[in-house]
Amino acid sequence: MPKTVNVNVHHVTRIEGHGNIVVNAKNGKVEKVQWQVPEAPRFFEAMVRGRSYQDIQTVVSRICGICSITHSLAATKAVENAMGIEVSEQTDKVRILMHYSEQLQSHVLHIGYLVAPDLFGFPSVVPLAAKAPNIVKAVIRLHRLANEWSDLLAGRTTHPVTLVPGGLTRIPTAQQLGELRDKLKGCLGDLTAVAGAVLSVAERIPDFTRETEYVSLRQDSPPAYTFYHGNITSTDFDGTVPINDWKTVANEYVCDQSTAKWTKWHRDSYAVGALARFNNNGQLLSPPAKDVAKMFGLKKGCCNPFMNSIAQLAEAVHVVHASNVLIDELLTKGLKEEKVHVSPKAGKASGCVEAPRGILFHEYEFDRKGNCVGADICIPTNQNHANIQKDFEKFVPEILSEGEDAVRLKLEMLVRAYDPCVSCSTHMLNVQFVR
Amino acid sequence: MKNPIVVLGLGNPLMADEGIGVYLIERLAQLAPQYPGVDFVDAGTASMSVLHLIEGRRKAVFVDCAFMGEEPGVIRRFTPEDVRSTKVLAQQSLHETDLLRILCLARQFDQAPERVIIFGIQPGLVALGGDLSPALSGRIDGYILEILSELHT
Repeated sequence: MPKTVNVNVHHVTRIEGHGNIVVNAKNGKVEKVQWQVPEAPRFFEAMVRGRSYQDIQTVVSRICGICSITHSLAATKAVENAMGIEVSEQTDKVRILMHYSEQLQSHVLHIGYLVAPDLFGFPSVVPLAAKAPNIVKAVIRLHRLANEWSDLLAGRTTHPVTLVPGGLTRIPTAQQLGELRDKLKGCLGDLTAVAGAVLSVAERIPDFTRETEYVSLRQDSPPAYTFYHGNITSTDFDGTVPINDWKTVANEYVCDQSTAKWTKWHRDSYAVGALARFNNNGQLLSPPAKDVAKMFGLKKGCCNPFMNSIAQLAEAVHVVHASNVLIDELLTKGLKEEKVHVSPKAGKASGCVEAPRGILFHEYEFDRKGNCVGADICIPTNQNHANIQKDFEKFVPEILSEGEDAVRLKLEMLVRAYDPCVSCSTHMLNVQFVR
Repeated sequence: MKNPIVVLGLGNPLMADEGIGVYLIERLAQLAPQYPGVDFVDAGTASMSVLHLIEGRRKAVFVDCAFMGEEPGVIRRFTPEDVRSTKVLAQQSLHETDLLRILCLARQFDQAPERVIIFGIQPGLVALGGDLSPALSGRIDGYILEILSELHT
């Protein structure tokens, strides 16, 4: 049957810009499909210029309320790389443990508050909470645990304060780490419950496939499912690229339909995030995380972007297990107070970590006094924009016959599956008085 | 151990007046020794984490930048029942939040404090850049006094 479909999902506000979805089809023929990103350009790079190397991680932590630890870690690593600063094994492990807390927190929030309402057929988590309180309560408990975990290691839930170039200003006690390990072991029941709930509605995950390139970190020595160490790899490339050469991977370019820069490497777009990490490193997941992937039939080479949320679920289980191992290692070796002595020097380098939503690059240049003279940040969401556009172009003709409402919902679900980070700089209230 | 009252400053200090909540909490935290039953928390743009920061409290006081149709710099005290949100959520990411919806969720699970008070401050400027606009920066002492008067009950 000929279909005329017009979808215009507009969220044009200059400050809190989300993406617009535009689809025009006439008599079954697609005339226009666009993922537009009208976000106001960010000038965080300009805001760190002139600042001391000691303050960078604090400023950039405010870029995002969800991945503030990730931004701080990327910046700290970049500063350390630029100045040739080595950190101790203990610092390295505590930072990785801190980073895991943010992966769990972000993944659980994304699955519980954005993906689950879609799959259960609710417009948001509020009505879902009324109909399926046990699942939402499990999500809230997991989120609370991740918050406490961040508090313990980063000094507070968001916008960490313990990270400094060269080390940490505070480390947890052995008792605190032991208590955290007990809580992590105790949370596996909630994770299993959330996985089971998602599995019960997994048939609603759209069956859509488009081959693309998946880019992530890869750690070879020792091989590990990495969020923190390693170099850049992709499913189109057998080797790895050093972190300092990330611009040869991202190849950022300006696109008419977006104020955010887009990226491409071996193809006209690439994807980053949990599915990219899984597709590159899935064989290194812990056994219980592999079991979660198996439950959903998720295998390496999966090109269904909706399965990113399932890869997140597997990663949530993985980081809990990997954290237990890390805590054991830290406790066996014994925790030591370490003094941080750093002398600034001139230099330029990059730092890279995996944000929950994909690979993140920070680059800084410092003068000999340690003041920042240049900065460049490439966030994962910008690296996904071109891929979302290419997905739209293939997906829309496949679902056009389902009608306007279904097209709108499925495209919104597709955007949500990428777990984008398009508006985290402001959170003000907009209210009207009713009494 | 959590104190029975929590004051939460929300916002992003890199976005001019949007950061007023965080700016005020930094000032208020300096007075913490005089308020032993109160926690002062810089919640930044922590979004859903607010759920856990208010849990188990008797009273929560929020300080946030708010578009209320007032002149820049005006502070208004209200409860969640006094207002309706006019914020349109794209529901595309975790990076947008509406405090009023978070409070709604907290109530659904009996995690909301008995009393929730919001101090909204009408911004003069929300844009990248660290400094508060003059409409707000000239009234800091007044804001502090008004918030402190809320901490005795």
